[in-house]
Amino acid sequence: MIRGRVIGSVWATRKVAKLDGQRLVLVAVDRADRVIVAYDTLDAREGQTVLVAVGSGARNVLKAGPDNRELCCDAAIAVLVDGQES
Amino acid sequence: MFLGRVIGTVWSTVKWPELQGHKLLLVRPYSLADLARVGTDVDAAPNHDGVVCADVLGAGVGEDVVVAFGHAARVAISESLSAGEQPSIPIDAAVVAIVDRLSIMSGEGDNS
Repeated sequence: MIRGRVIGSVWATRKVAKLDGQRLVLVAVDRADRVIVAYDTLDAREGQTVLVAVGSGARNVLKAGPDNRELCCDAAIAVLVDGQES
Repeated sequence: MFLGRVIGTVWSTVKWPELQGHKLLLVRPYSLADLARVGTDVDAAPNHDGVVCADVLGAGVGEDVVVAFGHAARVAISESLSAGEQPSIPIDAAVVAIVDRLSIMSGEGDNS
């Protein structure tokens, strides 16, 4: 998973039919000049540190189980981070 | 998925048959520093290497789009898939949404 911080949201009305209706958020990847767009099912607020699941793992966030291969999703927030020791 | 700006189109005559009829766009991803300039400089264009994406939405040059990778991209541009059917098109990136509006929290661009 990718650790990052929610920095904003994306709104789109013209989108592929298979795109889920969930909110799309912008996540700034930690220690990189990179931003990813991810589904948010956990109501992450701006500034929240999150872990984003990518690939097949992201589909399991929206719909767990083997019957989710029709979903158009390659990134979704899986964890809201409260704290970390390192 | 990533956010990027459409900067051009790609065309080709010799290609895998499943790609016939699909528009290919050149999209440059926004970096964090690029997003910090959005709103202050209307001509601020992202300046990273481009990604070639299939497009079924009709996005035009200059528009901001969301691009999905991998299986999600193939699902996005396969019009109808029956249950359990796997998309067969040989692409790995596709435009899945054309952005209407972005909301970015103030003070962004500092990710230290």
